[in-house]
Amino acid sequence: MKTHDPIAPLLEGARLVVCCGPGGVGKTTTAAALGLRAALMGRKVIVLTIDPARRLANSLGLEELSNQPQRIDLAENLETVPESVGEGELWAMMLDQKKTLDDLVKKHAPDPGAFERAQANNIYRLLSSTLHGMQEYMALDKLHDLYTGGYFDLVVLDTPPTKNALEFLETPTRAATFFDERIIKWFIPSRRSRSLFGRVLDPGSVVQKLLKTIFGEAFVKDLSEFFETLEFLQQALQSRGEMIDYILRDEQTHFFVITSADPRRMKEALFFHEKLGELSQKAEAFVINRVIPNFEAADLEVANEARLKEFAGEDAPDEELAALSSELSKAYEALSRLARRDRDALEGLARKIGPELMQRVPMLGQDVHSIEQLLSLSGYLTPSRPVEL
Amino acid sequence: MMEQLESKRLIFVTGKGGVGKSTVTAAIASALARRGKRVLAVETDTYSALADLLDVKLLEGAPAMVERGLWATNVRAEDALVHTIRQFVPSDRVSRAVIHNRVARVFFKAAPSVNEFSILNKVMALRDEGDSPSTRWDHIVVDLPASGHAVTFLGVPRTLNGMMRVGGFAKMAGKIASEIEDPSKVAVVAAALPEEMPVKETIELGQQLEETVRRGLTMVLLNMMHEAPFAPEREALFDRVRAGAASASTPGIEVERVMEGSALAWEWYERDLKYAKVLKDAVDCPVLELPMFYEADGASVVDRVSAYLNGERDPGGELAS
Ligand SMILES: Nc1ncnc2c1ncn2[C@@H]1O[C@H](COP(=O)(O)OP(=O)(O)OP(=O)(O)O)[C@@H](O)[C@H]1O
Ligand SMILES: Nc1ncnc2c1ncn2[C@@H]1O[C@H](COP(=O)(O)OP(=O)(O)OP(=O)(O)O)[C@@H](O)[C@H]1O
Ligand SMILES: [Mg+2]
Ligand SMILES: [Mg+2]
Repeated sequence: MKTHDPIAPLLEGARLVVCCGPGGVGKTTTAAALGLRAALMGRKVIVLTIDPARRLANSLGLEELSNQPQRIDLAENLETVPESVGEGELWAMMLDQKKTLDDLVKKHAPDPGAFERAQANNIYRLLSSTLHGMQEYMALDKLHDLYTGGYFDLVVLDTPPTKNALEFLETPTRAATFFDERIIKWFIPSRRSRSLFGRVLDPGSVVQKLLKTIFGEAFVKDLSEFFETLEFLQQALQSRGEMIDYILRDEQTHFFVITSADPRRMKEALFFHEKLGELSQKAEAFVINRVIPNFEAADLEVANEARLKEFAGEDAPDEELAALSSELSKAYEALSRLARRDRDALEGLARKIGPELMQRVPMLGQDVHSIEQLLSLSGYLTPSRPVEL
Repeated sequence: MMEQLESKRLIFVTGKGGVGKSTVTAAIASALARRGKRVLAVETDTYSALADLLDVKLLEGAPAMVERGLWATNVRAEDALVHTIRQFVPSDRVSRAVIHNRVARVFFKAAPSVNEFSILNKVMALRDEGDSPSTRWDHIVVDLPASGHAVTFLGVPRTLNGMMRVGGFAKMAGKIASEIEDPSKVAVVAAALPEEMPVKETIELGQQLEETVRRGLTMVLLNMMHEAPFAPEREALFDRVRAGAASASTPGIEVERVMEGSALAWEWYERDLKYAKVLKDAVDCPVLELPMFYEADGASVVDRVSAYLNGERDPGGELAS
């Protein structure tokens, strides 16, 4: 019988895998495990995280990750590196949004002063470090560089939880709007008709006046300056946005939805699935992580006190055994309730999306924070390619 | 522990994705309501969790009543924006016209933090409405977005205030900022799990909060602490039984599963203990542990947590139910 494995064939040919899904289900861990698998298939892989938290470093067993690609030494981290690795390499990086924006501005600045002017602007400073929203765009920019850079065969992109990830999918167009020509015109006086007639008729001036009333002169002035200083970025961003749109729609790009079996998270995953559809994308695999294995309350009828005694040996104290047996029954019965809930949720999902797309990964007793653990976890993701050591 | 929250009218709940923020929000709100308070639970997401967790149909534009003393509502970014702009223009109609203006729309969508600010502003307005005890909220409990962002979320008023410096909006932002920064007025509760990264992140959250809004966490609710599957003094006996089962020629799948499940539950128990200690050693606010409740649906979990918060301990209850 062929092993059920929707993921391995995709990993072999993909150039980009996007891992998305609800919060805390294991997207980052899964992205790292997928990257490891692909590297062991002989591919040059980079896992890119746009999660502001530092989980990717942690699941790779590293202290920290920087804004630069960092190679994970497999030989150093694994007891034995499987033969299949060949030319394969595993790299990782975490997005530092401020650095990325700075790099972008430096790269496109028409004169050396432009970067300094940008840095002096209030809006720029806040936008690049404190305020979110630009982060997703910056990630796509990095993605673009890695994807087109030529070194990596595969980029695995980890995303923040659902709501943000949706934002992120909409980002190419959104970044273009941010620097939309029309808006720039309203804020940059030199580009507007200066005649009185023009000013009255220009809807922009009305809007600007209104925004000044609401947000204050200083803010609107900073904002105008911001647009003026960064005008040169607009062209660059717009063409990148289109390019990224194109990458996201490529045949070798695959979207994986990661979820847990928790009913509410399942609902969110489905919501995500639908949303992907609306954006003319499609989820090609569903990873259901942290599934409680098939524990059934009925097992307790067999694993009763008499059986436990048999395993413990004749000299085990009866009272202690009775106590243990009753405690185990209670705990196992509770666990079986969660297992049943997970099973029902999985069946429900299978009815909606079909079992072909689903791969389940069991709940482990420990967090995943070493390459060894990642390797054993990843075995569940691509069961048709067991790692031969 | 509830006393800490009873003295705050505004309670923000934050934490990483999936740690139980929405559950804890609903449970705190319901626990306060069961203490005779008039409470509003607020979520700001487009994806509504409170409706499921409190088993209520949320209404457009008005709080929905859940039970005696408890209401729930979803503050949507767009309505909050209308409300905020309304404070600068003569009427609701003009406010709507502004945000529906093609140009301004693009601006609001693209301009950083305007949405987050509007939501906070709306929450403050909800707190200030009502002039008699029967229309006034004693507590508003807010389910904030996941934590990497929560710090920036709560820091938005201060940021905007700094950016705008003068004018009506700057003043408004400054006022909201100083309220958020006052730990005697506003509670910030972090929900966390007893696992390595969530604990690390909660510790970091506390530090970032100090840096950004110059205040600390009010308390941490350490959620889903697993019970031990057997008394710790019987660990050796369990190991013996398990080893015996493993070496038996045909232990049977049922026995294998019971052993595996119990071993898993023991691992969780040990891990939880370990990280609870790490957390308690690192933060200087109170840490309240909430047990893992083996319930199949979210609303029942909320009920159990709510009762637990109000001190109803039910020894063995989570296993017996
Ligand atoms: N199968 C598993 N069994 C047990 N623990 C797991 C499993 N998969 C992941 N974890 C643990 O779950 C936690 C959350 O995982 P992870 O950070 O990958 O989630 P995430 O979806 O990326 O979260 P976020 O939405 O916050 O970015 C981590 O502590 C990780 O070690
Ligand atoms: N103490 C508990 N015992 C058992 N289950 C719990 C407990 N607290 C929360 N849960 C369950 O954990 C899951 C996640 O909880 P919840 O939705 O409240 O998390 P959240 O942090 O709001 O997630 P999100 O980041 O997606 O908004 C739910 O299925 C909930 O029922
Ligand atoms: Mg993550
Ligand atoms: Mg929630």
